[in-house]
Amino acid sequence: MRNRREILAAAAVGIAAPALLRRAWAQQDAIEIGSLVSLSGTFANIGEQVDIGSKVAFDYYKTAAGKPLRYVQMDDQGDPGRAVRLTQDAIRDRGIRFFMNCTNSAIALAVAKEVANSGGVYINQAGADEMTGSLCNKNTFRWPVATYSAVNTTVRPFMKQFPDAKKWYTITGQYVFGDSLLKNLKDVLGELGGQHIGNSYHSLSDREYSGFITAAIAAQPDVLCICNFGSQTIDVLRQAVSFGMKRNTKIVVVWSTGLDQFQSLGPDICEGVYFGANYWHGVDTPGNRLLSGVIKEKLKVTPSYLLTAGWACTQATVEALNKAGSTDVPAVIKAFETLSFEGPTGLEKVRAEDHQVLKDYYLLLGKPKAKMRDKDDYVEVLSAEKAFLSPDKTGCKL
Amino acid sequence: MSTQVFIFGALNGVGIGMIYFILSIGLTMIFGLMQFVNFAHGAFYMVSAYAAFAIAQWTGSVLPALLISPLLAAIFALVSERVLLQRTYNLPHEAQILITFALAILAQETVTMIFGTLGKNVPVPEMFNGVVILGGFVYPSYRLFVVAVAVVVAVVMWLAIERTRLGAMLRAAAENAEMVGLLGFDSRKIFMGAFAFGGALAGLAGALAAPLRGVEPLMGREALAIAFVVVILGGLGSFSGALLAALLIGITQSLMSMIWPGGAHLMIYGVMTMILAFRPTGLMGRS
Repeated sequence: MRNRREILAAAAVGIAAPALLRRAWAQQDAIEIGSLVSLSGTFANIGEQVDIGSKVAFDYYKTAAGKPLRYVQMDDQGDPGRAVRLTQDAIRDRGIRFFMNCTNSAIALAVAKEVANSGGVYINQAGADEMTGSLCNKNTFRWPVATYSAVNTTVRPFMKQFPDAKKWYTITGQYVFGDSLLKNLKDVLGELGGQHIGNSYHSLSDREYSGFITAAIAAQPDVLCICNFGSQTIDVLRQAVSFGMKRNTKIVVVWSTGLDQFQSLGPDICEGVYFGANYWHGVDTPGNRLLSGVIKEKLKVTPSYLLTAGWACTQATVEALNKAGSTDVPAVIKAFETLSFEGPTGLEKVRAEDHQVLKDYYLLLGKPKAKMRDKDDYVEVLSAEKAFLSPDKTGCKL
Repeated sequence: MSTQVFIFGALNGVGIGMIYFILSIGLTMIFGLMQFVNFAHGAFYMVSAYAAFAIAQWTGSVLPALLISPLLAAIFALVSERVLLQRTYNLPHEAQILITFALAILAQETVTMIFGTLGKNVPVPEMFNGVVILGGFVYPSYRLFVVAVAVVVAVVMWLAIERTRLGAMLRAAAENAEMVGLLGFDSRKIFMGAFAFGGALAGLAGALAAPLRGVEPLMGREALAIAFVVVILGGLGSFSGALLAALLIGITQSLMSMIWPGGAHLMIYGVMTMILAFRPTGLMGRS
């Protein structure tokens, strides 16, 4: 039986423990960066790759602002609520102020709010326009392009190449990201004289798309445009091709993750399909040469978009910390806002007005298997362009 | 939208329904014969699909996998039954659900460790790599092949269960295992064989589905959800009920994709709820 004094002593230790732990972490003088990745659940296939990409970058850069870097993995299990709780715990118990990564926009938007409230810095890979639009904040930055850019840099060069492809049918994920792609697509089609002849919405839980594809075939479009993300893009495209849609319809996937999706689809399905992508390993830039070299050396694989996204968020954070020369949050934010660096897609710049990284987005065309130079040479790059909404139109007020 | 489009939609729905039928028939058989709730059914399906992927990589075609993968799934089911599941036959359904669910997670994580989290492509066999055009209706040759296999399975299963001595034995064991034992039959072996056969059917569905959907570690969960809807809607353990329910769901999903695309998936559960409200035992179930 414990006496009253022992119980009181234990309680006192319990109360003091978080503060003692926090001090212990701080004394180690490393910069801890929290990485929000879904390592289990529906988005584990995305989170795992982003996580690996970030770890490789940490291993490569090792230090920032003269201090060692420490990677703090936070498995949100694809759940925004859990991501927020993990972020709160990391801020409260470990004093972490720098965060990166996400596996979907809902997680990124939730974490961004939390990090802003606590006065930290967060860079992520969300696709939703709101991240650098109506829900932007002073503490958050975004590496990939927004849906506006993805649609404009994909559809405009495509329509220039095929001016007679007027009738477009869309299959769209019924969530914020899909709707955002669809809205931008309709705007571009309206401007360029295209005709949006129909849309089939699918839910996040759909896996069988033959009904939607039958409806699309019945509408006899010139172009089938796929506006969703992740494994659903793969499933819709696979089923559309199996229904012979490539015979008399062009297929455009405005948002793809590139190599990993091409590997899941195989060259026969990819051939002749147009893809929009944030990254392609075949693009020759100094930043990409560095990234490809490190990834190939460490992992013995060709870098995919997901690996690169993990790398890029780490690289941008390191560059900003180095530029600031300290871990003082206002100084790091200021450094971020004027940051320009040799990123994976070339020279990448952060726009101060909305915290968007200005970078190229690619229009890719699937190659025939016979023309692939190596096992990962699935596509040729048709165009690489930057197209961003002007800051006054994003709705972002910092 | 023209009537012809709706007819095509309904025909496509029959195709989807037959795929769902082949997915769920093993589950309904195991429940019908053994009153066993098998949450590992999706795992048998997923493991077989991955085996099909590996075989396709190795041989260059998925066709050999249509024989080998169901066999592997049957072995997996058999080992699971002998080592673990036979000990749960007398436990409540809740325990069976927990244990088979754990088995499914184990299988899923093992597959993830071996093949990674990213999905893989399984190419459609060369001979079915095209479409069949009927009037204005386009249908993939491979889907047609899957539908044909499902029809053959349905006929063979019905004949085996209703018209053979083995089928009579299975039905008798399902009704009263003790009595079958007293008549000199080993009901333990009957159940073991039935479980392995149920696993093989899930495996056949997985191997057939691999070129349609590709393979990824979470595919078993999706399959399990659909299979349970079919089994419950058809009536627990009813073979003909499963066929009817699968067709009903397939046609509903396909037609709703045209009428209300956003709610097509939701309507699977909507139809189930409506039918269960009027027939709580399912379409062909017995109270």
